[in-house]
Amino acid sequence: MGKLREVAVAGAGFSRFDIYDGRKGRPFKECDELGTEAILAALDEAGMSLTDIQAAFCGKVYASTATGHNAIKRIGMTGMPIVNLENACSSGGSGFRLAYEAIAREQYDVVLAFGAEEAPRGGMIKSTSWPLYQRQMGFNVQPASYAMGAIRYMEETGATEEDFSRVTVKNRRNGALNPYARFQKPVTLEEVMASRMVAKPLRLLHSCPLADGAAAVILCAAHKLKSKEKKVTVAAAVLTTGTYGHEYGGGSVKIKTPHQISLCMEQAWRMSGLGPGDIDVLQAYDTMSAGELWDIEKMGFCGKGEAPGLLREGHFDIGGKLPVNTDGGLLSRGHALGATGVAQIIEIYRQLRGQAGERQVAGAKTGLAHAMGAGPNSSVVILKK
Amino acid sequence: MSNGNTRVPLKEGLWIDERDTGGMLQLVGSACSDCGEICFARREIGFCGYCQSSNLKEIRLSDRGTVYSYTVVMQRPPEYYKGPVPYAIGFVELPEGVRVETLFTDCDFEDLRIGMEVELVLRKLHQDEEGNDVVTYMFRPTGQ
Repeated sequence: MGKLREVAVAGAGFSRFDIYDGRKGRPFKECDELGTEAILAALDEAGMSLTDIQAAFCGKVYASTATGHNAIKRIGMTGMPIVNLENACSSGGSGFRLAYEAIAREQYDVVLAFGAEEAPRGGMIKSTSWPLYQRQMGFNVQPASYAMGAIRYMEETGATEEDFSRVTVKNRRNGALNPYARFQKPVTLEEVMASRMVAKPLRLLHSCPLADGAAAVILCAAHKLKSKEKKVTVAAAVLTTGTYGHEYGGGSVKIKTPHQISLCMEQAWRMSGLGPGDIDVLQAYDTMSAGELWDIEKMGFCGKGEAPGLLREGHFDIGGKLPVNTDGGLLSRGHALGATGVAQIIEIYRQLRGQAGERQVAGAKTGLAHAMGAGPNSSVVILKK
Repeated sequence: MSNGNTRVPLKEGLWIDERDTGGMLQLVGSACSDCGEICFARREIGFCGYCQSSNLKEIRLSDRGTVYSYTVVMQRPPEYYKGPVPYAIGFVELPEGVRVETLFTDCDFEDLRIGMEVELVLRKLHQDEEGNDVVTYMFRPTGQ
C-alpha cells in the first residue's frame, strides 16, 4: 500500500438539514447555496481561503448537475479539479476517502470534501436498485427491506418494536441539543409507538426524515494546519461494497461470506491499529431505527442481539459507555443523502474538538462514523485526537 | 378466477406452468454445477453470482416452502406497483436452499409468521394499458 502521510481535519462547516423549498413559510435556497455556506464555514474554521484548496470532492445524489462546481463557484473560480460523486448514502464518505487518500499519498496538501443535497420532493425515493419486475411487484420500498430485516432480527434476538422505538427516543433527545438538526424536539416512547405504520413492524417515527442540506470538511497535510491546537487526524477511511448473499431480509442460504460492514471494519481496524474498545463516540447508521441496533452489532461493538439490552441500560446515551448518534443521527438530524456521510464525520470532529455543546461526550479522544446504503456501499471513517 | 381478459405474464421466464397438461406450476431458477449455489430468478447473464462459473443450468424449483421473513407495506410505493395497498411481501425459503422474494396472497396479512408453510400460485397483479390482466407468481398459506 505504501507509506501514508498523516492527514488532519483543518475545519468543518454545516448548513442546517431542513427543507428549503420556499413553501409554508420555509426559506427558499438552492442546495448549492447551502453548499457554499458549509464551505465558507469550513474555510473560516480552518483559517484558509479558497485559494488554499487544491481539489474538491462533492457528494450528491438527487441534487442537479455540477452541484459541487456551483457551490464553489459562488466563492470563486480557481481552476482546481472538482468532482461530483454519487455513491448513494455513502457519497459523502466516499468523497472524504478520496480526499484523504489524495493527501496521504502526497498528490495534494489541502482538499475539500463536502456534500450538498436537495431531497427528492414528494416523499419516497425512486430506486432502480431492483429489476423492473420486482419494482412492479412492489419490492422497491426501502422501509420494507428494513422491515423484513427487523422481523428476522426480532425472531433471532427477541428484540421488540419498543426496542426500535427507544432508538428514536434517544436520537430525538440528542437531536434536540443540535442546532443543525432537522428535528429539534424530543419524542416520547408512546408517540413513536402511536405513529402510523409504514411497513410492519416499522412506523413513521422509526424512519429518518429526508432533508436538504450541506456539510463540508477541509482535510490537509499536518504541516498545512494553521493551528495545532486540538488537532484531529484521520486514523482510517474505508469504503466497501456488497458481498454475495446478504440481501436485506433474505440472502443466500448456503453461501456465507463476510458482510460488507465486517469487511469495512476489518480494514478500518487494520488501518488505524485500533479496536472497538478504543472508540469513545460512534455515529452508527440509523436510516430506520432498527438498523442502528444491528449496525452497532455488525460493527462489532457488542454481540448479536445485545444492542437492545445495552440501549435500555443507557449504554448508548450521551454519558453512557459508548454514546451513539450524539447529533441525533439520521432520525433527528435528518438525511440529506449526498451530505449525510460528511455530516456523520463532522459530529465526530466536533466531539473530539470539544465543540459539541450540550451534547458533548466528556473526554472523547477517538470516534467512528459509519454510512451505508444503496449499492450497497459502506463507508467508515475513524478520527482521533 | 378468469374475467375474460387476456392474461399476460409480468415477465417471461420467471415460472413454467404445465398444469394444463398434468404438470406443475414451478418457478425457474439457476443452479451452479461448480459451487452448488441455487438462485431465483434464472441468471440471464450466464455466470454464477457467487463463484463466477459459467457452468449454470436452468432448474425448476419446489412449489412449496416456508416464510423466512415478511412485512406488510402500508403506503403506496413510487410508480411501478399498481396493485392494492396494503400488500404483503417477504422471502420464502424453498427446500433446495434458495430464498425467493415474493408477494403473499389469499390470507389475512396479520396471520403471516416466520416458518409458515406456503405454496406457489399465479395471481393478477394489475391490468395493463391494453386491458390485459398482468399475472405474476405469489405465495399463499398451504391447505386452502
